[in-house]
Amino acid sequence: MAAVIETDKLTKIYEGALKGQDVTALKSLDLEVREGEILAYLGPNGSGKTTTIKLILGLIFPTSGSLKIMGRKDIGANFIKRNIGYLPEGAYYPEFLRGEEVLRFYGQLYGLAGRDLKRRVGDVLELVGMSRARNRMVRGYSKGMRQRIGLAQALVSDPKILILDEPTTGLDPIARKEIRDILVRLRNEGKTLLISSHELLEVELISDRVGILYDGELKTLGALSDLLTDRDITVVVAGLTAQARERLESGGVEVEEAIGEHTTLRVPSNRNVYEVIDLCKAANASMVSVRPRRETLEELFVRVVGDAGDQAAEKQKETAK
Amino acid sequence: MTNVLSFFRGPWTIAMYTWREGMRKKILIAFLILSLLVIFGSNFITAFLFETGSQSGTDVDTKLIKDICVTAISLFGVLITIFISASVVPNEVDNKVAYTILSKPVRRYQYLLGKFIGVQLIVLLNLALMGALFFVALYIKEEVMPSLLLMSLLLTYFMFLIVSAFTFAISCTASSAVLPTIAGLFIYITGNLTEYLKDVYERAGQTTQLLDALIGKTALYLWHLLPNLKAFNMRNEIVYAQPGDFMQIERIMMLVSYSVIFAIAGFILAYWIFRRREL
Repeated sequence: MAAVIETDKLTKIYEGALKGQDVTALKSLDLEVREGEILAYLGPNGSGKTTTIKLILGLIFPTSGSLKIMGRKDIGANFIKRNIGYLPEGAYYPEFLRGEEVLRFYGQLYGLAGRDLKRRVGDVLELVGMSRARNRMVRGYSKGMRQRIGLAQALVSDPKILILDEPTTGLDPIARKEIRDILVRLRNEGKTLLISSHELLEVELISDRVGILYDGELKTLGALSDLLTDRDITVVVAGLTAQARERLESGGVEVEEAIGEHTTLRVPSNRNVYEVIDLCKAANASMVSVRPRRETLEELFVRVVGDAGDQAAEKQKETAK
Repeated sequence: MTNVLSFFRGPWTIAMYTWREGMRKKILIAFLILSLLVIFGSNFITAFLFETGSQSGTDVDTKLIKDICVTAISLFGVLITIFISASVVPNEVDNKVAYTILSKPVRRYQYLLGKFIGVQLIVLLNLALMGALFFVALYIKEEVMPSLLLMSLLLTYFMFLIVSAFTFAISCTASSAVLPTIAGLFIYITGNLTEYLKDVYERAGQTTQLLDALIGKTALYLWHLLPNLKAFNMRNEIVYAQPGDFMQIERIMMLVSYSVIFAIAGFILAYWIFRRREL
C-alpha cells in the first residue's frame, strides 16, 4: 500500500522566551501512514501526538525534517487540504447554529454550494446518524451528538484522509460502538484514518497498525498482529487447595484471581503448561479452561512506555554523573 | 470572474459566520442597549433639565441631545469596536474553531479577511442602530433630518475602522482578548492626542537646543506615522450646526481615504503577524 502521509526526520522544537527554555516536542519522527489503513497514534500526554497532527495540518511549522502528504510537500496547498478531514479534540461548534447549518458552513469553505452542498450535507448527516437531529440547535446536543457533528464536518468534503483526535473520548458505550462502526465503514470504503487516542480498548478493536510515541520519539510502529504477542497461558481451575496454590506460585505461576471455587492462573511462556495441569490434577482440582493469553494493546502500551521511561531515567542518571 | 468569486467565497462565509456569532455576544448587546438607552433617554433628560416652550430653551435642548448622542455613539461605538476586534481571532484559536477552519482549503489571509469583514459588519450594524435612534431622538425635537449628522456617522465609522484594524492586528499575536483590548483603548486615546505632537514639534523648533530638536523631529515623525483620530471628530460642528448645514465632500473623501490607507496597513500587519503564527 502506498504511503499517504510520510514524515522524514520530522523535528519540532518550541522556542522558549529565554535561552534554555526550548521544548523538543518531536524528535526525528519517521512515520508512514498507508493508504486505506487505520493507524492508531498513541502516547502519554505531552508525547507529541497533537504536535504531529498540527504539523500535518500546517497549523504549526517544522523545525527540521520534512513531511509529504499524498506525495506532495506543499502542506498548506488547497489540493492537500481538500483531501484531509480533521476532527480536533473537544472542538467547539457554534451553539446558535443548527446541526445542518454547521455542516453547511464547513461545506462552503470547501467551495461546495447549491445542490452539491445540500446532497453532501444530507449524506454525512445520514452517515453519522444525525439526520433526525439536523434541525436542532447545537446547544441542545448531547456530547455524543456534538462528536458526531464534528465527525460529519470532517467528512463533508468526502476527504481521502481523516485525522481524528480523541474521537470517542467522553462518549457512552453505545455511542462509542456507533462511532467505531462508522470508522470501520470509512476504512472499508478506502479512506485512510490516523487516530490519536487514549482509549486503548477502542483503538485495539479497529486499528490495523499502531504507533506509540514517548517524549517526542516513535518507540514502536507496526501491525497489531505483529506487536501483540501470544506469550502466556491462562488456566482456570476449580477446587485448588492452598497447598497446591503455594507450590504453583513458588514455581513462577501467578494467581490472577480467586473467586469462589475458581482460581485463575497465569502460566508464563517459559513454564510447561502440562506440568501445571498435572500438578492441579494431582491436587484433586478440576480443570475449567486452558487458553492462550494474548497481550492486550494496553499491556503493550504500558510495556513500551514503561521501558522508554526507564531508559530515559537511566540516561538522566548517567548525565548527572 | 469565477476565480474571483471562489477567492471571496471562503472569506465571505467566514464573515457571515463571524457576524452572526458576534451579534450574539452578551457584552456587545449590553453596550448596545446602554447606548440606545442613553440616546433615547437624552430627550427625557432635557425635559427634566429645562423649561420647555421658549425658543432659547428648545435650542439648548437640541444642543444637549446632540451632545449626549454624539458622545454616547463615540463611547459605546468604540467600546464595541475594540471589544469585537480584540476577541474574534483569540477566541477562535482558544476554542479550536480556527483549527477546523484552517484545516479546510482556506488560506490564512482569507481567514483573516473573513474575520475582519465580519467585525466591520458588526460595527456597522451597531453604528446604524445607534445612529437611527439618534435621528429619531433629534427628529422628535427638530422635525428635520440633518445631512451633517449622516456624514458625521460615516466619519465615525471610518475612525472606528482605523482603531479596529490595529486592534485586530494586535489580537493576531495574542492568546486572549485582554491584551488587544487594552491596546485598542491605547490606540484610541493616542490617536486622539496626535495633534499635540505637532505642537511639540512647533515648540521644539523655537529653541536651538539639540535635545529639543531631537524631540521635535521624533514628534514630527510620530505625527506623520500615527493616525490622527481627532480629524474625524465632528462633535462641535454637529452640536452647533443649523438644519441644512453640510460638510465639504472633499474633506469627507480625504478622511475616508486616510482611514482606508490606515486600515489596509493594519490588515497587512495582521497578516504579517498571523501568517507564521503557530496555532
